[in-house]
Amino acid sequence: MRLGTVIGRVTLSVAVGSLQGARWLIVSPFNREHFQNGTQTPAGMSNEPSLVVYDNLGGSVGQTIGFVEGREAACPFESPTPIDAINAALVDEIFYTPFNP
Amino acid sequence: MLLARVEGNVVATRKHPSFEGWRLVICQPIDKEGAAEGVPQVAIDAYGAGLHQRVVISSDGAAARKAVGDEKSPARWMVVGVVDDPNES
Repeated sequence: MRLGTVIGRVTLSVAVGSLQGARWLIVSPFNREHFQNGTQTPAGMSNEPSLVVYDNLGGSVGQTIGFVEGREAACPFESPTPIDAINAALVDEIFYTPFNP
Repeated sequence: MLLARVEGNVVATRKHPSFEGWRLVICQPIDKEGAAEGVPQVAIDAYGAGLHQRVVISSDGAAARKAVGDEKSPARWMVVGVVDDPNES
């Protein structure tokens, strides 16, 4: 799971049958620097490429979410579904202490 | 599997039900000198890894699903072990 900020939404009027009515978020993943900001929306997007994430938890723009990438993202579905990123957690709080030896 | 350092944890109330009761730790992948490598990953942790402890994390989704006991879980990264620290008594 990686963390990221929701920066937008996508709607699809034509989609694969198993994805009808799905909710999609555009997410800008956190890089190392963004973790220091906690759940506050970081100023600007990170340099990580943004991605579209399937959402069934109800994430909204400005929120921090935890999303899972890869084949595991399709596991919660009954039927084979062409998904490779899913919102797995709406993050309330981040406790982050970088290691500086 | 990656060598990583625990740099914090995440609290989430609304999440996939399979993550209920699991510790979610922020793991920064590191090289053998301890320098950060790549972006931090959030992993499930059953071993209570402490802050700044070195751990090994695995991206095996099948093993993570078995660990959380839910075949429909999107869990992927999990802490599979805590690295021995020679400086720790």
